Amino acid sequence: MLTYMRIAALAAMMPFMIPAEARADKADDTMRVAFGEEILNLDYNNTTKREYIILSDLIDEGLFDYDPETNTYIPSVATGYEYLDPLTIEVKLRDGVIFHDGTGLTAEDVAYTYNWVISEESESAAKGTIERWLDKAVAVDDKTIRFHMLEEYPLAVRDMANRIQIRKAGTYDNDPNAAATSLVGLGPYRVESFEPGKEVVLKAFDGYFAESPKQPVSIGTIVIRSLPDTGTQQAELFSGGIDWMFKVSRDVAESMGAAPNIDHVVSTDLRIGFLVLDAFGHTDPEGPLTNVLVRRAMNHAINRDEIAEFLMGGGAQAVHTACHPAQFGCDQSVAEYDYDPEKAKALLAEAGYPEGFDLELWSYRDKAVAEVVLAKLQAVGINVSLRHGKLASLNEARANRQIQAYFGTWGSGGTPDTAAIARVHFSADTDRNMSNNPKVTDLVLAAEVTGDQEKRKALYSEALSIIADEAYWVPMFSYAQNFLVNSELEFPTYADGLPRLYRANWK
Amino acid sequence: MLKYSLKRLSLAVAVAVILSFVTFLLLNFATDPAQAIAGEDAEPEVVEQIRKTYGFDRPFLVRYAEWAGGVLRGDFGESYYWNKPVAEIVMNRTPVTLLLAFMSISVTIIIALPLGIVAAFRPNTAIDRMALGVAVSAQAIPNFWLGLIMIILFAVTWQIFPVSGDSSLSHFVLPSFVLGASSVPAVMRLTRTGMLDVMESDYIRTARAKGYRGFALVRRHALRNAILPVISVLAVQLGHKFAGSVITETIFAINGIGRLALESILGSDIPTVQMLIFLFAIVFVAMNLLADILNAVLDPRLRIA
Repeated sequence: MLTYMRIAALAAMMPFMIPAEARADKADDTMRVAFGEEILNLDYNNTTKREYIILSDLIDEGLFDYDPETNTYIPSVATGYEYLDPLTIEVKLRDGVIFHDGTGLTAEDVAYTYNWVISEESESAAKGTIERWLDKAVAVDDKTIRFHMLEEYPLAVRDMANRIQIRKAGTYDNDPNAAATSLVGLGPYRVESFEPGKEVVLKAFDGYFAESPKQPVSIGTIVIRSLPDTGTQQAELFSGGIDWMFKVSRDVAESMGAAPNIDHVVSTDLRIGFLVLDAFGHTDPEGPLTNVLVRRAMNHAINRDEIAEFLMGGGAQAVHTACHPAQFGCDQSVAEYDYDPEKAKALLAEAGYPEGFDLELWSYRDKAVAEVVLAKLQAVGINVSLRHGKLASLNEARANRQIQAYFGTWGSGGTPDTAAIARVHFSADTDRNMSNNPKVTDLVLAAEVTGDQEKRKALYSEALSIIADEAYWVPMFSYAQNFLVNSELEFPTYADGLPRLYRANWK
Repeated sequence: MLKYSLKRLSLAVAVAVILSFVTFLLLNFATDPAQAIAGEDAEPEVVEQIRKTYGFDRPFLVRYAEWAGGVLRGDFGESYYWNKPVAEIVMNRTPVTLLLAFMSISVTIIIALPLGIVAAFRPNTAIDRMALGVAVSAQAIPNFWLGLIMIILFAVTWQIFPVSGDSSLSHFVLPSFVLGASSVPAVMRLTRTGMLDVMESDYIRTARAKGYRGFALVRRHALRNAILPVISVLAVQLGHKFAGSVITETIFAINGIGRLALESILGSDIPTVQMLIFLFAIVFVAMNLLADILNAVLDPRLRIA
């Protein structure tokens, strides 16, 4: 009787037992990855966040691609580019590149994509970036496109590589969001199925062009699952439900990486952390932060090396510039302020603040870092109160010029060029610019419209030297990225910190 | 009853309208929707582009009036993230949450009713205290903790159930237990109290005199009367399960409206949050109304009152 009851109980449990397909991995060449963010839109031209960049790298192609190993932009579906004059770039397309539906790529497709992005009816998230420099794109023949620019803009090739993904001509004619759920791309993977907010299944595309810098692509299927809770991601990784997760905190990564079937992979990142000081005196025209000696004292008060090594860990490094050392134009010969609390105290005394002063420090992320900064500034006599809150609150207070100093970070959108951080923080029209030195602004903007790369470097060097000499910022450290990966998976990392899933392969 | 029902429904609508205004206010002033959509590192040009595209640069009251006007026409607007009508998204997500709600309320019934009955049969004994202990523990343990413990035990260690997802019934077992457990104390205690009252009544004494004992006595005579207040509580709890599954759905990666609510709040997807608040208010009032109606149906004395 008892046996029958057990069988009956087991039979009753059958529909609830774990389904077999949940355990696919190396055996059926399927890599399952977890994103904390929900994927709701396949079209990177209409999105911005990092998860979408990773997805777009798999399913899309731009004209060019960024090579993290040489730190240069290399041809992708294009064979190269040529400046016909300072305001016209001609791009030639590669032969044999086809969309996921089998149709061949033409110059018409490229011109259509760019012209649509800057058009009135476009809702593209890339519009603001592209319309800054592009007047129009013209298909000269089947394989040649000419980009007519509004002004000289050396970062045009960067935008062609990073920001605009090529669509078939006519894609957006009836619906600006036509590619959101049904995307025909050019990338190494085609979209097999897509359930918004839940799962994207990608299959290696047979027709992917052999000359692509993304080749060789080895894994057959990639499944991207939206798992909002980090604890759930960890459990899935432990039980074999996923093979890869990112944005893992250092302590979790280190403890989970000790498991026999999980590897902790670390990479550097282009994101840097820094303090921005109200050197101009928006909050108080006579305030202590308007005194360069005070700002230099604050630079001497922070132990960058220890924060990078012990608090951030992994590939984090101390940074002394208002840009990431790996970025083009980020001159490392500028003034450095070593950790010297006694010198900081002496500078404060020299500036007329031997007893320190009151400072409100704002932050919105990495509270532990903000607290270390607070402790270090207090140690030299500055009476710091920390206001840790939401990014939106910080943005609003900064826009209203109510912030004396804030702990900020910037990832440059993965762009290895000083332009990606300099303009945002030092142009005249941004409230992030709290020093408001017109010379720095002029230099930064001049570098953006200078085609000659050596001249650009020189312009950035001069700007960065002023920023360092005047101690407008307290640059602190570069970030590291922690990944947790199935031990059977080979997952290479790159200096810019962008996870390139198409490079993964089974050991 | 009809007048009473209409009054309660009107109250629900009034509550929903006030809530929608407060939510709209908070989402607009506590966060920057354009920045939330663009992401942390978006360049100012991109944020401004989004602000213009979605109309965040227009006055707050104008936007609220537009939204409210749309609702009156049955149009809850379009999600900023999904680029789809909000109503369509909510409708797509509702069946999953309904399934979770019904399965979790079943878990509550399966655990709480027997516990309550057993506790009432042996009041102030070790069994009673044990039952009470189980109930109190279920109430005291936070959902997110219980969820992770269940995942570690049943999904990672023993691999009986999947960790997360919602593609098969097996995916709902652990979340249903987690969500259902939180309602066990209320239902168990009410069952116990009801049973204790009923067991001391004259007709139970008569039934005992007729020879009824144990399960037969409970099933045929005691439970029917003791369960009346439990039914109304279960109806309200069902509303809680429907609108209160945010944490459970997030932990188990279930694509229901609880998770949609969380993602929408974090991303300042105002139209979606607005509709969900509206829906939750209506569901709560409807469930309360259902409880009152059920009580009236089951107990004729209430109808007269």
